[in-house]
Amino acid sequence: MSTAIEPLEIEALARIMDELDYYQLLGVDPQATSAEIRKAYHASSRSFHPDANRTLPNELRETCGRISKRITEAYCVLRDSRRRKAYDTKRGENDDVSTLRIQIAEARNAHVEARKSECRGATAQGRQFHAKAEADMKSGNFAGAIQNLQMALTFEPANAGFKALVAELKEKQKSGN
Amino acid sequence: MAEIAVGIDLGTSNTCVSMMQDGQVKVLDNAYGERTSASVVHFHDDGSVEVGNSAKAKVIHAPAQTVSSAKRLIGRYFFSEEVKKAQAIYAYEIVEAPNHGVRIEIREEEFSLPEISAMVLREMKQIAERHAGEPVTKAVITVPAYFNDNQRQATKDAGRIAGLEVLRILNEPTAAALAYGFGMGLNQRVAVYDLGGGTFDISVLEIGKDIFEVLATCGDTFLGGDDFDDRIMDLLADDFVGKYGINPRNDPYAYEKLKLAAENAKKALSVDEETHVAIEEVMTNEAGEVLGLERTITREEFTQLTQDLVMRTFKVCDEALQQSDLTVRDLDGVILVGGPTRLPIIREAVAHYFQQEPRVDVDPDEVVSMGAAIHAASLVGEAQDSMLLDVTPLDLRIGVAGGLAEPVIERNTPVPIEQTRTFTTFQDHQESVQIRVYQGDHRQAEDNTLLGQFEFSGFEKGLRSDVKIDVTFEIDADGIVNVTAADQRTGEAASTQITLSSGLAEQEIEKIIEQDVAGRVANVVAAEKAAGDQLQSITVAGNEPESGTPRVSADEDSPFGDGSQDLSMGRDDALDLDALDVDETELDLVDDDDLLQLGMENGDGAPMDGITLDAPADDDEDDGFFDTSGTDLAGPEIELLDEEK
Repeated sequence: MSTAIEPLEIEALARIMDELDYYQLLGVDPQATSAEIRKAYHASSRSFHPDANRTLPNELRETCGRISKRITEAYCVLRDSRRRKAYDTKRGENDDVSTLRIQIAEARNAHVEARKSECRGATAQGRQFHAKAEADMKSGNFAGAIQNLQMALTFEPANAGFKALVAELKEKQKSGN
Repeated sequence: MAEIAVGIDLGTSNTCVSMMQDGQVKVLDNAYGERTSASVVHFHDDGSVEVGNSAKAKVIHAPAQTVSSAKRLIGRYFFSEEVKKAQAIYAYEIVEAPNHGVRIEIREEEFSLPEISAMVLREMKQIAERHAGEPVTKAVITVPAYFNDNQRQATKDAGRIAGLEVLRILNEPTAAALAYGFGMGLNQRVAVYDLGGGTFDISVLEIGKDIFEVLATCGDTFLGGDDFDDRIMDLLADDFVGKYGINPRNDPYAYEKLKLAAENAKKALSVDEETHVAIEEVMTNEAGEVLGLERTITREEFTQLTQDLVMRTFKVCDEALQQSDLTVRDLDGVILVGGPTRLPIIREAVAHYFQQEPRVDVDPDEVVSMGAAIHAASLVGEAQDSMLLDVTPLDLRIGVAGGLAEPVIERNTPVPIEQTRTFTTFQDHQESVQIRVYQGDHRQAEDNTLLGQFEFSGFEKGLRSDVKIDVTFEIDADGIVNVTAADQRTGEAASTQITLSSGLAEQEIEKIIEQDVAGRVANVVAAEKAAGDQLQSITVAGNEPESGTPRVSADEDSPFGDGSQDLSMGRDDALDLDALDVDETELDLVDDDDLLQLGMENGDGAPMDGITLDAPADDDEDDGFFDTSGTDLAGPEIELLDEEK
């Protein structure tokens, strides 16, 4: 059930691959849901995964292999909400080609690190309410956590970490109900 | 007609081969009608080799010449825990080879682990040929999902030594899922609980109509059915010590008897609530008295003895579910793989943990080889019937300053994948860098498995901030790792490529293949058949010259009949191997260098530059440029360039 792909198409994609961001590479919208991303990954794999290309001449197989690895990288970043967030931030920075890719191992950590320092808060009160919110989260009291974070935000209105956490908790509440 | 390609489940205890025929997957039985054969290799006095269940029976009389559980040792370093453990348990001699490799010494002759496994694979090849009626040269071979690069590479080498082109190294749980879901039009999330003889794997997959995507895989390569046997064996041995004050573990013959009794007791307890063990003679004491052992073991007792082992598997399951962002409630099915999952205590515990009855409609001993056969057929077929999207089981890391190992590709990342990291030198005007590649989950380098290391000096020297070395890590669809280093400034001018150690260098493999094909393996089939031997085995005479044409005699159930085509491995096989070499793009010997290069992307004939493949302990040539303050394993002469700075 492999999707037959023309050699010209393969070569063309290989040529422009470095100028595509992960969304473009997978052929999905930047707002795509994770289900859509997965579907696109499956479709691309049918064309480019090494198992789908055993009959191609060596050179083309190698080209397919390069594309396949890049597709996996794109999927690996976009399927993980933390990596995807880090990637979206980087991608928004400027139009430079260097922002089109991200290290998969670092993407995860970068985000966690940034989140950690942001989250702890810059003011004593901010930190205090954040700590309370954390305790609430541990005990599963999302509503309490949101309240405490909103208190923290009154002291640090610009703290993106707090904001993100509130958004995340609201999301959780929604899906939990 | 499509080419023939078989699927082989090369297990710690048993091996099974399957093949697609007329759209149906068939488990192939050996000459004795057995659908699995023991992964045991017995070396006869005359140098000939016997493989399978009859070889296993030899272990009692000739434990030192009978190699079992080779899979536990394949791709391991000599200093590893597993090798030490094996040395304590097995009667055959395990010796050290160069670069911390492992060899089995039988009658003063040394065999690498890939060679031992190749003998088992060769037996499977012959079984398949008997069924196919023609030479079989292509196979998909399965490995535990948690196998690291060294183990995968060594398994691939084993296939090659056996005369097989390995189309794909496939993860066992993935193969099982394929056998379970192939052509069923499913849309499910499943867990594959795979407890083999020596390893435990759990994989969580999403099965679509024709796509099998592994979401996460976790495992424990130190946990398997053998450990359950060992618990019973310890019970028996302790009993014996209590009764006679002699430790039977110190006597290899007594040891094997107890081990066999333990295994049989375990099997009996799969069916019965209790079993009676009676060994008339375990050993004789110094006075020449025969010492026996009798004991009843209940299932309850067995459950208690092994409870911690079962719990250990669920810890791993927790991890796999967490990694795939799922809970047991999200799973539509649980597939059991591996003989030990027949044990009622395991089935019950699995049902309890996953809150559903596991699927028992596929034979846990055969399902993996069936899946491998389905994939093999799909790979040589016209149409790609199903896509397998797998992941890498372990973090891939590079050694950096301070004895640490930095993750480059994290576990459960889909493959194939490639990541490039940029590094600089540790000091100004440094002449070369040592690149060390690890697999494992630990931040401390030495706690991980060293896959290989190489020195790279082909860069333009300069101030440390000016030197930029791109190190590219690739994991291919077989889960095999390849690492390349290149100078960013000069580009392709100096690229170094290594393939990490499989334990055998390319030259060694070629030599082994040559020797094998030249005579060893071939003759014995003939010799054995001629002797009308009961042995269902292949193989191997000493260094006798090639004599005659090995063939299956007419009384054998052979599609060739008498006097027709060779069944086996003689000159014909040499031709097959040559052909194999020609279309091999994955295994390339680089020019005059004797180093093995097992990458997917050679082709450019890049020069190999000052590469050494050493296992950890030798912190060798240290040009005074390196920070040597660390331990032997540290070797961090490069530094990660932080792009953000």
